[in-house]
Amino acid sequence: MSCNRIDPVVSRRHFLHRAGLGFGSVALSALFGEGVHGAEARPSMPDLSKITNGKGRAKNVIFLFMEGGPSHLDTFDHKPLLNKLAGQPLPPSFRPPLTAMGETKAPLLASQRTWKQRGQSGLWISDWFERVAEHADDLAVIRSCVSDGINHAGGVCQMNTGAVFGGRPSLGAWVSYGLGTRNRNLPGFVVIKDSESTVVNGARNWGNGFMPAVHQGVEFQPTGAPIQHLENPKGVTAQRQSEKLELLRELNREYNAARPDNTELEARIRGYELACQMQAEAPEAVDLSKESEATRELYGLNRKETAVFGRNCLLARRLIERGVRFIQLYSGAGSKWDSHSKMEENHGRLTHSVDQPIAGLLSDLKARGLLGETLVIWGGEFGRTPMSEKGDGRDHNPTGFTLWMAGGGVKGGHAFGATDDLGLYAVEDRVHVHDLHATILHLLGVDHTQLIYPHKGRPERIDLNEGHVFEKIRAS
Amino acid sequence: MKQALFKTIALAGLLHPVLSMADAEGDQFFEKQVRPILVQRCQECHGEKKQKGGLRTDSLAHLKSGGDTGPALVPGDPEKSPIVEAVRYGNDDFKMPPKEKLPAAEIAVLEQWVKMGAPWPETAGKTAVVMEGGFTEEQRKYWCFQPLNPGEPPATGGGWARNEIDRFIAAGHAGNGLQPSAEADRAEWVRRVYFDLHGLPPSLEEIWEFEQDTRPDAHERLVDRLLASPRYGERWAQHWLDLVRYAESDGYNEDAYRPAAWPYRDWVIQSLNTDKPYDQFVREQIAGDEIDPENPAVLAGTAFLRQPVYEWNQRDARGQWDIILTDITDTTGEVFLGLSFGCARCHNHKFDPILQKDYHRLRAFFSAVHWRDDMVLATPEEKRVHAEKQAAWEAATRGVREKMETITGKPVEAAGRKALEAFSEELQGMVRKDPASRNSLETQLAGLCQRQIERFRRGYDPLKNLKDPVARDAYKALAEELKAFDPMKPAPLPEAFVATDTGREAVAVSYKTRKGRTEVAPGFLSILDPSEPVIPPLERSTGRRLALANWITRPDNPLSTRVIVNRVWQYHFGRGIVASASDFGRLGEPPSHPELLDWLARTFVQDGWSLKKLHRRILLSATYRQTARRTPDAATAKVDPSNKYLWRFNPRRLDAEQVRDALLAASGELNLKAGGPPEEGTSMRRSIYTRKKRNTQTELLQRLDAPAGFTSTAERQSTTTPIQALLFLNGEWPLERARALARRARSVEEAWLHVLGRRPTGHENQIATGFLQKRPGHTQTPGRPLSGYSAIEGVFRENTGLERLEWNTPEREGDAFTVQAVFSLESIDRNASVRTLISRWNQGKESVEGFGWSIGVTGVKSRYVAQTLIVQLVGEDENSNIAYEVVPSKIPIQLGHRYGVAVTVSCAQRVVRFRVWDLSVPETPVREAVVPHAVRQRISEGASPLVIGGLAQRAPGHQWDGKIEAIRLAEVEADLAPLETPLKKDGLKWLPGLNDPAFVVLGAGAPNAQAAKPAPMEDLCQILMNANEFFYLH
Repeated sequence: MSCNRIDPVVSRRHFLHRAGLGFGSVALSALFGEGVHGAEARPSMPDLSKITNGKGRAKNVIFLFMEGGPSHLDTFDHKPLLNKLAGQPLPPSFRPPLTAMGETKAPLLASQRTWKQRGQSGLWISDWFERVAEHADDLAVIRSCVSDGINHAGGVCQMNTGAVFGGRPSLGAWVSYGLGTRNRNLPGFVVIKDSESTVVNGARNWGNGFMPAVHQGVEFQPTGAPIQHLENPKGVTAQRQSEKLELLRELNREYNAARPDNTELEARIRGYELACQMQAEAPEAVDLSKESEATRELYGLNRKETAVFGRNCLLARRLIERGVRFIQLYSGAGSKWDSHSKMEENHGRLTHSVDQPIAGLLSDLKARGLLGETLVIWGGEFGRTPMSEKGDGRDHNPTGFTLWMAGGGVKGGHAFGATDDLGLYAVEDRVHVHDLHATILHLLGVDHTQLIYPHKGRPERIDLNEGHVFEKIRAS
Repeated sequence: MKQALFKTIALAGLLHPVLSMADAEGDQFFEKQVRPILVQRCQECHGEKKQKGGLRTDSLAHLKSGGDTGPALVPGDPEKSPIVEAVRYGNDDFKMPPKEKLPAAEIAVLEQWVKMGAPWPETAGKTAVVMEGGFTEEQRKYWCFQPLNPGEPPATGGGWARNEIDRFIAAGHAGNGLQPSAEADRAEWVRRVYFDLHGLPPSLEEIWEFEQDTRPDAHERLVDRLLASPRYGERWAQHWLDLVRYAESDGYNEDAYRPAAWPYRDWVIQSLNTDKPYDQFVREQIAGDEIDPENPAVLAGTAFLRQPVYEWNQRDARGQWDIILTDITDTTGEVFLGLSFGCARCHNHKFDPILQKDYHRLRAFFSAVHWRDDMVLATPEEKRVHAEKQAAWEAATRGVREKMETITGKPVEAAGRKALEAFSEELQGMVRKDPASRNSLETQLAGLCQRQIERFRRGYDPLKNLKDPVARDAYKALAEELKAFDPMKPAPLPEAFVATDTGREAVAVSYKTRKGRTEVAPGFLSILDPSEPVIPPLERSTGRRLALANWITRPDNPLSTRVIVNRVWQYHFGRGIVASASDFGRLGEPPSHPELLDWLARTFVQDGWSLKKLHRRILLSATYRQTARRTPDAATAKVDPSNKYLWRFNPRRLDAEQVRDALLAASGELNLKAGGPPEEGTSMRRSIYTRKKRNTQTELLQRLDAPAGFTSTAERQSTTTPIQALLFLNGEWPLERARALARRARSVEEAWLHVLGRRPTGHENQIATGFLQKRPGHTQTPGRPLSGYSAIEGVFRENTGLERLEWNTPEREGDAFTVQAVFSLESIDRNASVRTLISRWNQGKESVEGFGWSIGVTGVKSRYVAQTLIVQLVGEDENSNIAYEVVPSKIPIQLGHRYGVAVTVSCAQRVVRFRVWDLSVPETPVREAVVPHAVRQRISEGASPLVIGGLAQRAPGHQWDGKIEAIRLAEVEADLAPLETPLKKDGLKWLPGLNDPAFVVLGAGAPNAQAAKPAPMEDLCQILMNANEFFYLH
């Protein structure tokens, strides 16, 4: 389809020249997906030219979000004492936690997993992640994560935006704002869910908050047209659509010519062109038909249990290759990892559905030389309690849980921080969600204290001015 | 007069000293990078209060003279400056800050600063002399804390000026060598003022009328007419709702709908339409319950205190209440006082003279606030009448109700107890306490717990949860009996979404500082009034909020008066005199015309806080009458590129509500019904009356930057994205408006008039006519009826003449219906797509457009059982959230077999009933499944038509592959008995040979298959509705 595309380089410079007049220049540079790094003219922005820390290696992020709260005690945080004390109440030496469901006096629940030390590094990983464990030496496991949200809404919101209540931009939006996009024909921040269910809090998890809408996450549908409204309306051929766009251009031409100082008008025209290019490019990005049989096998596409998340992981790799900065894949959309009862059954199924796909993604990124510049993050909004709930489940635990990273310049084969002997509270090197966000930006080469968005008189940061980079995680 | 002007300019000179570029850069570096470090890292111990080691770091002089060990700083030489050595931790005896080394980046900043010669802005450096009360001279002299300047308008602007405003503006022009623009012509001005005051374009008649009005006061007459119209309140209320983060849902995960929220929206509209004095408007929102608790028209304003987000199942009631009070405090500071208090919650504000104490003094005014759910919006008389009727009903039904309670009493009690025990011991204690003996905090927290407990109690459904069939039947009979009394029962009074105090007393509150907790009483900003106000309690209330409201609305309050006139100015011109309308502090922008701001504020108060008089004054100025169509010459562009001095009118994009309302106005579909409960974003009502759910905003409004209602919004974004373009090009709702306009506009000229309010130019006419003529199907071709198309044998297959049939009927099947069909299927999808027998669905799951349903057979990779019959539903669940659900029958469908099916969807009962007869194998018993689901309503209200053999859009995987012999949609209420027998021909629509114009064939091989209904006029209308001229006032 013809998108009436005009030469972007020449016209861009031309626009920016005009942008010196002020009106509309922000809209335009935002539309071009220029982050702070790429901006040539940002009249309304403060001096943001010094946000690089000179240390980060990552260029992209794939955030594997296990929504509902995966149990750290049965996956990456081995606690032999838990099994010894199973059936007994929490020892009095432990401060009683505030739990979401209020079963505070329930007995401790043993982990039924088989644990082994893996790889050269000897990281403890349970048999629920046999395939991921093959990459143990690439994993930087943080066992001392802390969040403020006891409930899913607050937890998911904070892990995404830094605050337990809505209204702030998502991490992906900050990355888009800071680094810009590498492919203007695709969104800079993409979200893919593993089912039709709604993620807790809905689309505002990937919202732009107080930033321009160009930074918001765009949800991709894994089959059919990947983006909402991407397809021409029913019965409208490509030819007809392109004629309509041509008409729009013609009508706008005269209007714009009389208002040369208003670059927003040009930006709107470009918006339609980019939309048209997106129509052409996005379906190709999600078309898996050219992927080899070996690749399909690697991601688990040929088995029913792993096919869905495997496909999403493969899509993530394709999108990274095409220049998307930040991709978030939800597993268990709609709090499916939440296991207040029958945790064995629930987690058994879910870990099985993601283990092979995640391992495949790590292998594939490595084989293609992409792992060094791609930060892969695995985690949920919180972990789970050592105490049981309803006999065979675990309640939410935001006071100590595990998240791991791989690639993107992290020190693989290491575990950082620690929870207490029962895995209830983080006790060593506590890493708050704010610190995680600061660290992720750091690994992307951005000084989080300098990535500022001025809003209502406050220099806003992703970490609400509270985060510290967890420097130990960076491979030196 | 001349002297006054001279003073003005001199003062402006002081506030904005002209600096050389190098100075400016250094100062900027200092303010942005260095000062925050000094304030944050050093001044706690080396500042005006404490001078450890004799050192102060709050002025350059102090640093240079240093402390006990000599100078701390040698400008230009980091290596000789002890401050640099200290932060580098270079000397073991001398490490600063002592607790933790600074981050490397901050150390680098300090090094660079010293190297640059330690620039320190002159004004700040010179005036850093501590005054009593801990504020510096500079802080005390900061513009927004000064009393309103009594200065009169300057004598400038002769010949151009129409009123006093223009004389101030002319002075700004003169001072910067700028020239005002020519007047906007009638067409430009009338469009501007309609969008500005009503949020709607003028109708063709209204444009014509104004253009013909040659009277000298035509503009004045029009402004008066527009201000008198109820449309004015509907437009300007939106600005206020943005500020108070108005929404109609809770905002956390459940995002439950707040059914009693909308009366506040109508209250704001009414207040504006009646020109309620602004001081009264403010007082009623902060303290309506303390002013006139019995008057629903006053009480309704306190919904302002109910706007924070709320999480119904939060066990940490104390934490939740803390968040709520923080939110109310922050919003109050921003909205009424134009200051960003938020920073001062944890520490003294780093840039503005707002002490941490001041934050908590402000917050203490709200410390007894109680969210009430037991109140109604009714007059005492209405309450009396209701109570009488209610008492009569209660007396008549006491026996029945008591019997019902003996059945449900225990289990309901148990449900409540279980909910109670989920809270901490401390909270349980508060709930168990006698309400009369609870203090204010206990009342608040117990109230939050009680809401949850009540919900669990209400959640007990005897008909579902009673296990004993005898008890259940007994209950059912009693419920029937009770129902007989319904005619006696009065309609409930409207629930009030309001707040009051817990009582006359509030518990003492304190806040945390580094030194521990400090108790604090209500008080105002210390810099304006450090005293502790004496607040006598009222009859049922602490009186605190009334005291705050009275202080905010004092005629001499230098903040609130400036803040509101600045906001009004901002909404008219697109930029405030202070561009940061909710932040008058140092990180905001200084006023471009300080004297004008003060003059407007003074006259506003003198006019009795009348907003309409303020509008009038602004709208009738020559400043407002300037054209936006002026391209600046080089000099203008250099001196004032952002048009701070208003040398022309600011060009603007329409905001979200203006665009949506203008689309409806152009298409002729706008429904101007005023007030009442909100409707869907897809309705034809004005945008202000559409439902505001925080987590599921109306897509079109959200894409155009309408705020979601989490925090106060003073200035909207105006963004342009490709995603926005996709919505306007391909989205069903905008497309529907274009179709409606195409039906309305009989010519190119009419289309132009409706959308842009003007006739097309000759050139435009030519372009448009050319566009229409070259399109295939220039003349409308209706869908081809089925008759006479011999290829059709009832076999539906991809890439054939019969892919799908669109059932062209305006009727909707509602939320309960039965589909009967006779079919066979040749294949299922290799992936997870569903071979669709019949649907009303476009596969959307996110918006009302996507509401719908489908019936089909699952594919190989389905997450449900492959090759079985399923139903998919998209509608609303019981919380009015959008819900998508798959309802699987698990009944297999053999390929090649001939089947009869009856699928009954009932949202009321929330089940789907499947019955399947295998007609290929005689005597096979019917297979049956009844599957529950959660979708409650509106499944037939989406944008899609009924389609047989597929979905609304062409989607090969979802395409039926095989014969559909007969199909019928029946009402579910009809007696289902006849369906028990295998399907007969009677009553079904037998498809082959069917001669029914209701069906439109959709197929690849058929002529016009791709474009069943080409409509060139529709395309033209759509493009006009996408044109820059439609979106912009420029």
